[in-house]
Amino acid sequence: MKRISILLLAASSFAVLACSNDVTPTGDDDGTGSGSGPGSQDEWDTILTSRVTDYNAALRIASLRLNGDMPSATEIKQVASAPADGQRAAYETIIHDYLGRPAFAKEMFYFWRDTLKIGGTAAFDTAPAFAAKMVVENASYMDMFTKASNNCPTFSEANSVFTDAECANGGPKAGVLTNPGVMASFVSNLAFRRVRWVQETFDCLRFPAETGAPVDVGGAVPYTGAWPFTSIASPTNGGGRVNFQDVSSAICAGCHQTLNHIAPLFAYYDTAGLYKPAISVTVPLEGAPLAQLNDWLPPGDTTAWRYQKPAADLPALGAAMAADPDVAKCGVARVWNWALGKTDIVDTLQEVPAATIQTQIDAFTQNGYKMKDLIFAVYTSDNFVKF
Amino acid sequence: MTRFGYTLTILVGASLGVAACSDSIDEPQTTPPPGSTTGGTDTTFDHDNDSISVWDLIDRLTKEGPPSFSSQMHSCAKVRYATLGQVLTSVGVNLATVGTAAAPSAGDLYKTGASAYGASNYANRIRENIGITTSGASREFDIFAAGADQIIAAVPTLTRCQVGGVPAQLFSGATCLPEGITCLIGTPATPAHLESCTFSLTHATTPLAGQRIAVAALMAAAYTCE
Repeated sequence: MKRISILLLAASSFAVLACSNDVTPTGDDDGTGSGSGPGSQDEWDTILTSRVTDYNAALRIASLRLNGDMPSATEIKQVASAPADGQRAAYETIIHDYLGRPAFAKEMFYFWRDTLKIGGTAAFDTAPAFAAKMVVENASYMDMFTKASNNCPTFSEANSVFTDAECANGGPKAGVLTNPGVMASFVSNLAFRRVRWVQETFDCLRFPAETGAPVDVGGAVPYTGAWPFTSIASPTNGGGRVNFQDVSSAICAGCHQTLNHIAPLFAYYDTAGLYKPAISVTVPLEGAPLAQLNDWLPPGDTTAWRYQKPAADLPALGAAMAADPDVAKCGVARVWNWALGKTDIVDTLQEVPAATIQTQIDAFTQNGYKMKDLIFAVYTSDNFVKF
Repeated sequence: MTRFGYTLTILVGASLGVAACSDSIDEPQTTPPPGSTTGGTDTTFDHDNDSISVWDLIDRLTKEGPPSFSSQMHSCAKVRYATLGQVLTSVGVNLATVGTAAAPSAGDLYKTGASAYGASNYANRIRENIGITTSGASREFDIFAAGADQIIAAVPTLTRCQVGGVPAQLFSGATCLPEGITCLIGTPATPAHLESCTFSLTHATTPLAGQRIAVAALMAAAYTCE
């Protein structure tokens, strides 16, 4: 068991215990339920196995999400009138067709606006346009973190045409990680909002992102980070002006162990998203002074994506993210949740267990992280066509 | 135990200890209200505490099942705002038509209904809410009711409703026709659809009122969620 499922297991255990005589089956989340009694995994499995394949219903949902409209009467008839053993082929033919239509590009543009939580202006639309273009061209999802040119394309909603363009904000190039609109929209003290956006969007997990063995650091609860407690700054640890080692109310280091090792990389962008030669974000102190490296990290500590995954600059951060299996899994989970009509995976904790999407994860990682192929696989999966 | 499950499991555990089997379950007091600091102003800076309520999570798990189950099932997501506009256009609603203050057009209701419908607010880094809300569903139903006349007039002329070049008709006298209904709802019309539709036609005060009700009701039922 890993990541957020522990919370869901704990919560579902509580749901079983809590006083109710009329709950629907609850069950556990790892298949270790006790058997056939109320709330057992068996009851949920029974519901899953009782679903029936309905390509007519699947076509309607797929059309609304991939095509932004209802299927035409001809498409409906192609599937509905196909012989039972030919319905799958008829359905897949139409899905394949949808993925090649101009309307699909527009739907992808909207999907990425929502996923990235940015858009609506020319500056803010370049990141969603970049991501939508990546999908439409069936390029690697990892381009989102590593692509070094043409990272600020435009997209015409009127004719579904992408136009390549370079980002004009200067500095390094690493997919959407260096996008000027993103940097401007998610500006904050110490660049923490930019880091949170990266973490939640591409790792599908709120901070804290890393855990380790519990260590008593004098707080009410132990510090459970992966990084040494001394790896982040405080007034007594490198002269930082913020006490990230504070334990009086919460263990700040639980989140800031990771945050502080990433944030300096995003600190060179100003409020307009322009890359500057010096750190350009402020510290939330009187007068809003500009941050210094020792506000995040004590001398000797360096930036990194994760513990023992160093990243000296944003392209290196992008490369580290591209190599992280959790980032790939997050990409698959987001597409899965979109297809199945779920709300945001982070904002509403709509976790997708790896077991549910392992087939798609394996294909995604083994075939060059191609998003359009992934979308086809999800929209033709057994779970998508069963109701 | 790993990652952020640790902290939240503590929260769940604390909540269980305090609140189990009580008649009045309050929000766990360990979670500061949104917008406040994690601890006190003397000890921490301003943090975003707008995380999901553990009580909401428990309620959802109780109703929807564990992720191993629910992740394999379709949810009832709202039709997105842009998609709704396209669907309306596709069935013959002219979104540019302007109504009156007393009788706004479907286009008026659509264009002024973005907030009620939960559309995105990217300036504040908020994506479109795809959950169904009372305000969103109400506005959607109003749009279908206001647009019913345009839909009824347009369906026989719509290319997308044709099969083999044959136009689809919604009604024949007091009977609803499957081809037209199929075109409206996006799936093959079932006997239940036709029965419901025909019931509206035969029980309304006038034939036109019956057609309006039938179309609006079918659209509302079909597009409450994707």
